[in-house]
Amino acid sequence: MVRAIRGVLIECEPAIKSIIVHFDSVNNDIIIEDLDETHLVVKENMVHVLKQKLEERLKETYRPEEPLQDSE
Amino acid sequence: MPPKRKAAPAQGAAAKAGRTSAMSTPGPATPRSLDGSIMSDADEDFDEDVTEAQKEREALLGKEADDFVNKFSFAGKGLRTQADDMGQELRRYDAATPFFRKRDYSHLPLKADHHNRPLWIDPENGTIVLERFSPLAEQATDFLITIAEPKSRPTFLHEYALTTHSLYAAVSVGLRPKDIINTLERFLKTPLPAAVRKNIEDTTKSYGKVKLVLKNNKYFVESVDADMLQMLLKDPVIGALRVHGSEQITTSHAPTMVGLVIPGTQNAAGVHQANLRQAEKMPGANGVAANEADLFAALNEEDDDDDKEAVHAFEISDNSVETVQKRCLDIGFPILEEYDFRNDDVNPNLEIDLRPNTQIRPYQEKSLSKMFGNGRAKSGIIVLPCGAGKTLVGITAACTIKKGIIVLCTSSMSVVQWRQEFLKWSNINPDDVAIFTAESKQKFSGSTGIIVTTYSMVTNSRERSHDSKKMMDFLRGREWGLMLLDEVHVVPAEMFRRVISSIKSHSKLGLTATLLREDDRISHLNFLIGPKLYEANWMELSQQGHIAKVQCAEVWCPMPTEFYDEYLRANARMKRTLYAMNPRKFQACQYLINYHESRGDKIIVFSDELYSLKQYALKLKKVFIYGGTSQAERMQVLENFQHNPDVNTLFLSKIGDTSLDLPEATCLIQISSHFGSRRQEAQRLGRILRAKRRNDEGFNAFFYSLVSKDTQEMYYSSKRQAFLVDQGYAFKVITQLANIEKTPDLAFATPQECRELLQRTLVDNEKGAEEDVETDDLFGRTRRRGRAGGGGGRKGNGVRRTAGTLGELSGGQDMAYIEQNKAANRGLRKGGKAGAGAGGQSGFFKKIQREKDKSKQAARAGQ
Repeated sequence: MVRAIRGVLIECEPAIKSIIVHFDSVNNDIIIEDLDETHLVVKENMVHVLKQKLEERLKETYRPEEPLQDSE
Repeated sequence: MPPKRKAAPAQGAAAKAGRTSAMSTPGPATPRSLDGSIMSDADEDFDEDVTEAQKEREALLGKEADDFVNKFSFAGKGLRTQADDMGQELRRYDAATPFFRKRDYSHLPLKADHHNRPLWIDPENGTIVLERFSPLAEQATDFLITIAEPKSRPTFLHEYALTTHSLYAAVSVGLRPKDIINTLERFLKTPLPAAVRKNIEDTTKSYGKVKLVLKNNKYFVESVDADMLQMLLKDPVIGALRVHGSEQITTSHAPTMVGLVIPGTQNAAGVHQANLRQAEKMPGANGVAANEADLFAALNEEDDDDDKEAVHAFEISDNSVETVQKRCLDIGFPILEEYDFRNDDVNPNLEIDLRPNTQIRPYQEKSLSKMFGNGRAKSGIIVLPCGAGKTLVGITAACTIKKGIIVLCTSSMSVVQWRQEFLKWSNINPDDVAIFTAESKQKFSGSTGIIVTTYSMVTNSRERSHDSKKMMDFLRGREWGLMLLDEVHVVPAEMFRRVISSIKSHSKLGLTATLLREDDRISHLNFLIGPKLYEANWMELSQQGHIAKVQCAEVWCPMPTEFYDEYLRANARMKRTLYAMNPRKFQACQYLINYHESRGDKIIVFSDELYSLKQYALKLKKVFIYGGTSQAERMQVLENFQHNPDVNTLFLSKIGDTSLDLPEATCLIQISSHFGSRRQEAQRLGRILRAKRRNDEGFNAFFYSLVSKDTQEMYYSSKRQAFLVDQGYAFKVITQLANIEKTPDLAFATPQECRELLQRTLVDNEKGAEEDVETDDLFGRTRRRGRAGGGGGRKGNGVRRTAGTLGELSGGQDMAYIEQNKAANRGLRKGGKAGAGAGGQSGFFKKIQREKDKSKQAARAGQ
């Protein structure tokens, strides 16, 4: 019996892929198939959530977690 | 500049607002109070474009600098709330208003000939923007440097901030408030906002009324106006700090004769005289023309008149000096701290003069003229780029004051350098320049002299040796004419407090290249030392050839996936290690080193991360210095770097950030750095600014900052550059180094090697132990492979290792590591001993040695 899951193909930079994989490692509920360095298939219903998470994550990357008391 | 048009509209910026409102609903935007100039829309278009762009840039620039400026500028003092007597200047609202928020100043009327005037002013915080391309820019710059503090100086638009301190400085060199206002008015495109005008008047009016003097090693607050002192004493903060037991206010009369010395109260007399002069100066200054020469003449005349005015004073304790200074500033009566050294007959004069062949550069002269602007020594800070001759400025100041000098530096290395510089530039008797460090505790021979020491020697409060205690008592017991503070920015305020409370000096001069700290503690320097007296323009100096021209570049290195995966999981510390150890970065570093070595550059590579520093240096077989390197080895490495043509690259940890003088270096690569520290960036850049070859035709020094993509480093990096960008440097971003893959022996070229590097990095740093640092010898590798084969049994590794390799137990493994890894540094020593750098020979023997070691170890392990 064939089971079909609706998926979305994502093409991204390796770094972004790493981040997505990192998200997935918590619940394994995002990625269907890890294709190669720059391609992933993810569950369709998770795309929206993923986008949000990614957005947050990228903001974090450029805002250090332990900033010095900065005058700027 | 806006192109000239007939009947130039008086409201270039406003014009824009007018048009937009015409296009949209002419509702709330219509109330235009400034109907003096009615413009046709067609006529504005050109002017509008330019001025609008200006406005926009101004607003942008202003916003960026805002926070910084706020700290010391008027804005912090609530300038905004002050009543504007031009109340009819109503703000208008239109489609563009939301973009500018409160920084929309399009309602300010422009003067008819505004395109001939170079300045803009922000009416709220006193920020002034200068159009550098204006024909009047030169004059305006000179003027602004006197009255305001430079904030940002790129090529075309400079930004200055009017601050309380800068205005005090302006007044003290003889500018009157009226002159300041008139000149500003002349240069400004818009009329001077009333609030700013009022503030200039207020600030300058109260200047110089109260003085802080040092008498008999005690601090007194002095004023000619008894009421003023009473008022100060009633102040809850200051009153409480008065030294109790002393009479409330001592009143004394100024000596009627110059040079009157009463035995026993010598100091008092001397200081009195000195300060009376200052008191006279202010009324005198108001009477004469702005011309400085005239002013001085007049002052001198006045000085000759004997004034019998009484001076009132009360004593405050040593450690409350700062609080009092701060408080006085708060309530608007800044305390004046000037030293009339020429009339100080109490402290013996020092025989010191610049050597006749010494010529100081124009900007050095300018900075000193700020310090000695009125014939007295003002305390303050002079900011010059690294390599622009700060030391000489300090020495010249010392030669001007000619009293006892105490020099404080950051390390014992620079202590020695300072002493040498003193001997080099001045004719001082070598016996009079004494050094006080842990190793040597000299005193000068004569009655006065120069002491060079470090901050830590002076502030160390723990147990001291008998010698240093005696020395400290000696330092404490004296009055110094000038305290020179080298690299003031590195020392936190607390330390200065201790220095200043223990050593008494009449004037203090701080020297630094980067007057900024990421924490706020730098702001205290204003009270502890004094205001910023002068800040040089880096770009101008490099154009004149005093410092090297530098090309700055930021190289983006992508993280390989494995590294990035690990990076995402790692904790903050490990993250830092990982982005420093990024193999792409390693390759970029290797490539740049190869490239620049082949050009004949001498390269310094900086890394804050000790682990990566070692790994890079070992892998690339370069010499390195870090905190743990012994003094002798450092000297050897540095000497080789300077003179040995075979040693062209030097790896330095952050110990090399400051004070290390390597004029040979022409290229700098930064692989890891201290978060977003702008100061570190600037200090590091400073290492190549004094490049010897800077005056060669077309010479450029290079500054590379290697950044791992998609990591926090990107954020930090942009932050770090802020200061240099303000100084006018431009950073190029390099995303791809051409032909990097063709580099011979490119490190970590295969994914396999990358993974190995990653594993090693992780393991080494988890343990934090030295023992596991990779050695290239066969033995280490087999061990590791065995471990990898062990699979999940990582925990059991410890046991297996001890069982497997006896050599390690006996320390043999470690020895092998040391032998191998210090190869670069060690090679130097061997070469040095053998005489000339006989490269081939030493290499041969090294190889033999290595083989011998290996066999020894193999034998040991085999036992």
